[in-house]
Amino acid sequence: MPKDIIKALAKFELLGMVIDPEYGGLGTDVVTAGIAAEELARADLSCSIPVLFLVGTSWGHVIDKYGTEEAKKEIFSKSIKGEQIIGIATTESDTGSDLGNMKTKITKKGDKYVVNGEKMYISGVAEAMEYGGGHVTLARMKPELGTRGMNMFYLPLKDTPGITPTYVEDIGREAISCGGFDINNVEIPKHYLLGEENKGFYYIHEGYELARGLIALVCAGAASKALENGIAYIKERKAFGRHIGKYEGIQFKLAEHHVKIQALRQLGYKALWTYDQEIQGKASRFEVSMAIAMAKSVAPFWARDAIDDVMQWQGAFGYTKECEDQKAWRAVRSFTLAEGSSEIMKLIIARELLGKEFLAYR
Amino acid sequence: MKFIVCIKQVPDTTEVKVDPKTHTLIREGVPSILNPYDQFAVEECVRIREEIGEGSISVITMGPPQARSALMRCLAHGADEAILISDKAFAGSDTWATAYTLSHAIKKIGSFDMVFCGQQAIDGDTAQVGPEIAQQLGIPQITYVEKVSLDKTHKLTIHKQTDGGDQILEAKLPILLALLPPSSFQPEHPPMSSILKAKRKPFNIWDANILGGDKSKFGLDGSFTQVIKTYTPPSRGECEMIEDDPKEAAKKLSKILCKNEALAKR
Repeated sequence: MPKDIIKALAKFELLGMVIDPEYGGLGTDVVTAGIAAEELARADLSCSIPVLFLVGTSWGHVIDKYGTEEAKKEIFSKSIKGEQIIGIATTESDTGSDLGNMKTKITKKGDKYVVNGEKMYISGVAEAMEYGGGHVTLARMKPELGTRGMNMFYLPLKDTPGITPTYVEDIGREAISCGGFDINNVEIPKHYLLGEENKGFYYIHEGYELARGLIALVCAGAASKALENGIAYIKERKAFGRHIGKYEGIQFKLAEHHVKIQALRQLGYKALWTYDQEIQGKASRFEVSMAIAMAKSVAPFWARDAIDDVMQWQGAFGYTKECEDQKAWRAVRSFTLAEGSSEIMKLIIARELLGKEFLAYR
Repeated sequence: MKFIVCIKQVPDTTEVKVDPKTHTLIREGVPSILNPYDQFAVEECVRIREEIGEGSISVITMGPPQARSALMRCLAHGADEAILISDKAFAGSDTWATAYTLSHAIKKIGSFDMVFCGQQAIDGDTAQVGPEIAQQLGIPQITYVEKVSLDKTHKLTIHKQTDGGDQILEAKLPILLALLPPSSFQPEHPPMSSILKAKRKPFNIWDANILGGDKSKFGLDGSFTQVIKTYTPPSRGECEMIEDDPKEAAKKLSKILCKNEALAKR
C-alpha cells in the first residue's frame, strides 16, 4: 500500500482510534471504530484500506491492553502517525483455524526470546518490511501444554535478522500485500512479550473477536455501496422498453439484499457494542464471542450475494474490471476465511448454544 | 470577539440530474452537503480566530432537522456552538425572509463583531442572503471576499475579488463578509478527534416560538417572491465547436453566421 495512503489515515486520526490517549490514541469505544470501518469500506470497495485499518485497530487494542509500557510507547509513537504498521501473524502453511497445532516455537534465552518457525497468508508483510512495524504473533513456549503453553508477542519485521519474507498474490484486496515469513533464530527483547507467558492463545482471541466484528461492518459497508451503485444502474438501464428497476425479478432481489445489509449492520454494531460492554465489565466473554460470531458468520455471504446480484444486473459489464463492484465481490470473499473461517464462527455459535461439553474437536 | 457564520445545507449539485421530460431537478436520493462556499467561510473564520487567539464562533442555519449534519460538520471544523433554526413556519422562505430569520437569530445571540457567509449557495446561486442579512442588521458588508486578515488590535484587511482585479480594503467592525473561495481552495476534512469533540459542543434548536420576532415576516408569508418552477431549459439545437487559432476561428464563425443569415452580408 502506498505510504501516502497510510499517512492520510493517520492525518484523519484513524490509526489509533481505540488506543489510550496517553499513547497518542483517541480512546474511542470500538463501536466508533466500527463506524469508521464501515465508511472506509464504502469508500474503498477493494477493502484494502479497511483491512489495514481493522488489523491495526484490533491488534493495536491488544497491544494497548497487554503490552509493556516500553513496547506501547515504542510501537504507538510510530503506528499512530502512519510511519509503521501493526499486523497479525498466527496462520501457518498448514494451520489456520487449528491454531493449537501451530509449529512456530518461542524459547527463553536470558532476557530475550528466540523464535523459530514460519507464518503464512499474512496481510501487510510488504508494508512492514518496507515501512517498518511488525505483527502480533503467537508461538509455542511449552508444546506439551497445547493451547495453554503459547506466548503472544510483537515481532518487528524490518531489519530483523532471521526474517525472510515471501509473497503471494491475493485475488482481491490488491492494495495491501499478502505473504509470509520464515523466522530463523529471531531474537526479540523481553518487553515485546504481550501479557503473561503461556496465555497467548487466550489473549489473541480478543484481537480476533474485535477484528471479526469490524469485518462484519466492512462487509456491510462494501455491500451497501455496491447496492447503491446497483440502484443507480437499474434506474438508468432499459431493457425491453423499460427501466430494469421496474421488473419484479430485480425489485425482489433488491429488497432482500437491502434487508440483509441492514440486518448485518445491526448484527455488527450489536457485536461491537457487546465488546464495549465487556470492556466495561457489563458483558461476559461468552456473550461477546456469540455476538461477534453471529455477525461474522453471515457477513461475507450476505455481502457477496448482494454484490453478485449488482454485478448480474449490470450484464456483461458487471464481469469486467471496469465495473467497480467486482472489487468488492473479490474482497468480501476473503472474509469467509480471514480472521476466523465461517465454519469456525458456526462452531462458536453452536458451542454457546449447546455448552462446552459439545465442543466438536475435543 | 464574537464570530457568527451563516451556513446552508444544499443538495450535492454534482449528483443532481435533470428529468429529461419535465426538465426539473431530480432531488430524490441526492446526498446533502455543506455548501462549499460556507465551508470556506467556516474554515476562514476558524483560521482567523486561531490567529488572533481569542473569540468564539457560533454557526447558524435555517433548515429542516436533517440540516443538523451540516452544522455538526462546522462544529468539527472548529466552531464552538451551533444553532439550527427549524420550524414549518419558515418553509417557503425566499432570500429576504431567510435573511430576516437569520438576522433575527443573530440579534438573539447578542452582540457580535463579524458575520461570515458564503458568497452564494450552489443550489440557488442568488448571492442575496448575505447582503440582505447585513441590510437587516444595519451593518456594513463586503462581498466577493477571498481573503480575510485580522490582527490582534482587530484591524481588518480584506482582499475582495472584482472583475478588474483584487481590491484590498480596510473596514471597521462589526461587519458582514460574503466569502468566495479562491480556485485553489481545497476543503479540509476534519480529523476524527474533532468529529468526536463536535458531539460534545452546544447544539441548540430554535423554532419560531423560541426565535420570536414578527411571524408575518417568516416563510411564505414573509416572502416577496415565490419559486414557481425550477427547470433546465431544453437544448435548443446542435452545437458546433470551432477549434482553430483565433483569426481562422473568427473567419469560420462569420461564414457560419452569414450562411445562417444571422448577420447581414456586406
